[in-house]
Amino acid sequence: MKLTHHSRQSGFTLAEIMMAMAIAVVIFAAIITASIAMQKSFNAVDHFFATHIQQVRIIDYLNRDVKRALICTVSANQQTVTLTIPKYIIQSGDAEAVSNPSLVGAMRSPTLSTTTSLVNYGTTTSTVVYSINGASILRTEDGAVTTIASSTDQLVPSTTDTDLTNTEYSTMAVTFRPIFTSGNVADERTGTTVFSLAYLRNKRRG
Amino acid sequence: MKVSSIPNERGNVLLCAICTIFVISLIAANVLLNCTARYNQASNQVRSWNEALYAAESGADMAFAEIRKTLPGASPSPSPWTGWAPSGTTYVSPVTGTASLPWTFGSDNLQARTVVETCYFDSSGVFHLGANPTGAWPWYRIRSKGTSPLQGLKRTGMDDRLSNGNRFVANGSTRGDGDTLLRKIDFNFDHFIATYGPNGDGTGKALQAVNAPQIARRIELIVGAVTPFGAAVRVTTSFDGPGSAGLIDSFNSNNGAYYFAANNPSDPHYADSHSGSVAVNSPTFFMHQGPIWGDVSTNGGNVLPSNLIHGVIDNNVPLTIPPLVMPSLPTPQPSPVAFNSNTTITPASPGSVSAPTTYLVSSWSKSVTFNQSGSAQTYVAVHVTSDFTGQVTVNTGVHVQVFFDGNMSVKARDLVNNTGLAANMQFYGISPTDPNTTQTIAIASPGNFVGTFYAPSAAISFTGNPDITGSIVGKTYSGNGNTTLHYDRALDNAGEPSDYRIASYVEDIR
Repeated sequence: MKLTHHSRQSGFTLAEIMMAMAIAVVIFAAIITASIAMQKSFNAVDHFFATHIQQVRIIDYLNRDVKRALICTVSANQQTVTLTIPKYIIQSGDAEAVSNPSLVGAMRSPTLSTTTSLVNYGTTTSTVVYSINGASILRTEDGAVTTIASSTDQLVPSTTDTDLTNTEYSTMAVTFRPIFTSGNVADERTGTTVFSLAYLRNKRRG
Repeated sequence: MKVSSIPNERGNVLLCAICTIFVISLIAANVLLNCTARYNQASNQVRSWNEALYAAESGADMAFAEIRKTLPGASPSPSPWTGWAPSGTTYVSPVTGTASLPWTFGSDNLQARTVVETCYFDSSGVFHLGANPTGAWPWYRIRSKGTSPLQGLKRTGMDDRLSNGNRFVANGSTRGDGDTLLRKIDFNFDHFIATYGPNGDGTGKALQAVNAPQIARRIELIVGAVTPFGAAVRVTTSFDGPGSAGLIDSFNSNNGAYYFAANNPSDPHYADSHSGSVAVNSPTFFMHQGPIWGDVSTNGGNVLPSNLIHGVIDNNVPLTIPPLVMPSLPTPQPSPVAFNSNTTITPASPGSVSAPTTYLVSSWSKSVTFNQSGSAQTYVAVHVTSDFTGQVTVNTGVHVQVFFDGNMSVKARDLVNNTGLAANMQFYGISPTDPNTTQTIAIASPGNFVGTFYAPSAAISFTGNPDITGSIVGKTYSGNGNTTLHYDRALDNAGEPSDYRIASYVEDIR
């Protein structure tokens, strides 16, 4: 048998294959490295954004409740805020609801105190407390606890209350320390601070 | 070794490089897209939620502006409630276009719908809709709903950092957690109407589709009249007092007669005793050795905490007391036209707060006694076009307002208020035409005084040791002797309103 010789179908030499493999390895290494870096970056950025949104959520919760509060007090360490809020909605267990359960969820009509001349909703008020429990920020309204934010980034809200003769306002600042940074320095926390200020619309004196 | 040249296979390295860059770019773009899409959506929700409140409060502000147009003496143009839809004593904000093409405001197409209802509180403090049958100044309830369209896709925000992950709960008993719980976005249906009805009272519940994703917030404001007598002393220029044997404190005549309770926290009237507040629209505040059981505010002063001031001190509070012009009163009685001899007046009809029996007199130099008309509460107004130098006695069941154009110089014993209530004897000093002219009101010993003074252009002085129950509004106040002043908190609702105030603010967060 005579083998036909095809001079134009010669294969790659070993050196060429080795060279090609080396280049391929470098390319794939670059792609994989880039992918991992991108994934880490995505996680970091996504985590940062998510924590930032939680910052804003804490601020918005506090803002909403401070605006409708009758009284605002802040603990010495500025991390526990206690608010007294009108009971606009009849809740289960309220006097009206005990005698008529169908009123649960209904809006109250205001009353005018004959002794203090203040407008009230019902004879009692709701107490809302904002506090920190580990990595979570809690909102407790009349004993019912809601976790409004939770992050391993050490979210820390800080509130101060200023009570003047004719007005009262609370300033809020929420910071966190991004977990993907390694410096663990104070600047990393201060660099994430979000501030807000809300006036008590119901400023009054007893 | 000879390397053969194969021209047709050139460019592999370039192709590989381009492919690599393309793949990496795809990964990067995907990362960027994922991050920004979620973040932008969450940011849109935050913005819309806050703007919905701006819209609701803007609607309430517009309603408040209309209410202020109804103040006595105001002659606004356009007249109150122009463009609003009245129905009895209820007013609905101007129609905002049609459902398919609503009129909006702001760059983000915000909408507001506001309903103003006239209301009042009876003597027990119970709320009623409609005009007050006693003729007293009305209250208003403002309910305002602000709506903000939500930009972007119908998707939740970045709630996945919270533990239980229940974004939306099918049984409707809760709204999940995180942003979903706070912001209550209406993606397809109006959750409020579906759950609580359009007015929030549980009636008319319906599944109502929304044109586009939106966030709505609702607020309720109670608006009441600002009366002149909201503090013990309010002056524009200077305050001087109280002396070493004097004091300023408060009580509430609705809860009984005055006695000193300010230093006894266990006293049932203790809470009423610390409203003897002093407000000065200038830095000029002189305090002697008498205590003030209330707040002190100045405009640029330097009042420092001391054991004599038992309230909040604020040195940065502007205070505006406009000059007093003679208000419109009902047509005066034909006689008498002067009180130059001792007179007893028993009106033929009792009148009302807004329509008292009126007398116009050129002078008042003698004693005048006002009696009740039958057994009804009787309302009397007197306009004296000169100085007041006489005496007055207000008997039980009578409410007297005295407007005088000139000055006043009497002894405290000349002003007899047998009702015991400061609101029943009110003196109003009409501001001189020349703003540089200062009225004078001088009250001397002996005697005590139960009543009020509202004289924005007057220098008001008390000398000796009169015991005053009521409230003082003027240009200057001097009571540095042994003068004692007891502010009556019942005066909060007395007198002609100078403005309206928001007495309560609540948000329906459901």
